[in-house]
Amino acid sequence: MSTVVKSNDLCYLTIAEASAGLRRKDYSPVDLTEACLERIEALDGKLHSFITITAERARAQARQAEQEFASGKGRGPLHGIPIALKDLYMTKGIRTTCHSAVLEKWVPDYDATAVLKLEEAGTILLGKLGMHEFAFGGPSVDAPFPAVRNPWNLAHIPGGSSSGSGAALAAGFCYGALGSDTGGSIRTPSAHCGIVGLKPTYGRVSRYGVVPLSWSLDHAGPMARSVEDCALLLQAIAGYDAKDAASANVPVPDFQAELREGIKSLRVGVPRAGWFNENLGVHAATETVFNQALEVLKNLGALIVELDGKPFSIARKANQTILVAEAYAYHEKTYQETPMKFGSTVRRRMLEGAFLSAADYLTAQRARSVLNEQIRANFARVDVFAVPTAPRPPDTFEGMDPNEQNLRPSFTNPFNLTGLPAISVPCGFTPDNLPVGLQIAAPPFEESTALRVAYSYEQATPWHERRPAL
Amino acid sequence: MAKEFTIEDLRVLADLAGLNLSDDDLQRLLPGVKRAQQQVAVLRAIIAPGDEPAGVFMASDGDRK
Repeated sequence: MSTVVKSNDLCYLTIAEASAGLRRKDYSPVDLTEACLERIEALDGKLHSFITITAERARAQARQAEQEFASGKGRGPLHGIPIALKDLYMTKGIRTTCHSAVLEKWVPDYDATAVLKLEEAGTILLGKLGMHEFAFGGPSVDAPFPAVRNPWNLAHIPGGSSSGSGAALAAGFCYGALGSDTGGSIRTPSAHCGIVGLKPTYGRVSRYGVVPLSWSLDHAGPMARSVEDCALLLQAIAGYDAKDAASANVPVPDFQAELREGIKSLRVGVPRAGWFNENLGVHAATETVFNQALEVLKNLGALIVELDGKPFSIARKANQTILVAEAYAYHEKTYQETPMKFGSTVRRRMLEGAFLSAADYLTAQRARSVLNEQIRANFARVDVFAVPTAPRPPDTFEGMDPNEQNLRPSFTNPFNLTGLPAISVPCGFTPDNLPVGLQIAAPPFEESTALRVAYSYEQATPWHERRPAL
Repeated sequence: MAKEFTIEDLRVLADLAGLNLSDDDLQRLLPGVKRAQQQVAVLRAIIAPGDEPAGVFMASDGDRK
């Protein structure tokens, strides 16, 4: 048996399991780090999930963690855990490309707040992960770095924009990762790669040092192979940051405290009418798996309440208008001076923002107020919303139609527009063995509720135990 | 009601915005720009005169950094 296959057992531990093993001295941070690096070296040539591998830095951090463990200086559950970062998190002294020729050689001179917090928690940085160029558009087929592939089937897209984060976790290359989410960029690759991803409430996690796509819609958040791991990562990165103008000065609860409390009598709202059947509607395989997931929630004691989905459906229009306007405003100078440095997909789609007027943008922001109120009003009747994370299974690279995404409902956009916390948890597979995600959204700053529902579902089902054959 | 964009409109606006776009670029852009305009029209229909934009300026914001 090759050492890579043997290292599977170590590489596919959850953070919680790996942390417990480290405390028991079953293995060391160096063992975990070497196992991950070996697996990346052996298999990432197929997936292209990493843009930059920081092997020597990782080894140095692992040795330091080992010494700290030996001298009894434990830093908590993330201490000695190898992680990786979407390549839009600024890292001092480490190239941060946003998967773009525009920033191909850019080395920031400071760390993002979330990066600093993970470092303080004792994590080990394995490297920087591929993504959709500037977190927008689709797989970057003409960027200086290859597009990330889906570990479940290399012919398929992994979803984005945090595509490297999703693929690397599913492939057992790291134990946790950070993604960012402006319209679904944490949750979609989580669903398509069969892992867990949490978009926290807007303001919960600092965006300082995260290259913006759209200031008022961007969220930083964790991705992992289990719900509990997402809770652990969120615990480390959440909290007020004076450097982020949108940071919320609210208490940070213990995100693990409620995990095991169950969901008996919890009211789960499904905003199906007027949304799920929008244009081409939800793919049949996805809807079948989603309905089965609702049955599981019911069997766990939840009450399913059907809701009007119309405001959720319109929310996408406001989200997209705001997104392209803000994204173009951020990149305007580059468009004027060196537009050909952008890949073709992002160049075309972001340019739509150049042709929106100030009144158009403010119309979308006014509609955001209206839709936010309408969507949140549902919390008088339900405790959480449940929807599929993505309207269809991951497309193939060959058959990818960028226009089709506008012909199916977006189940992720409304929770960027409203800033509500939303988590994607694996909920089954299509007949073609492609993962499907269940999304749970909760009221503002109630990540604990979303985590509790996702954890209850996860523990009642076997989907999180499946691994792609690589 | 605003009229629908044409290629010529896009060319003029692109010039004003300092963008150097070829005819091919403009052709590829047009469907997306039209869709964006249609989206805004839907949004316009759901707002009332009293609805303010999300995100309000706070005079104390400058104290945060």
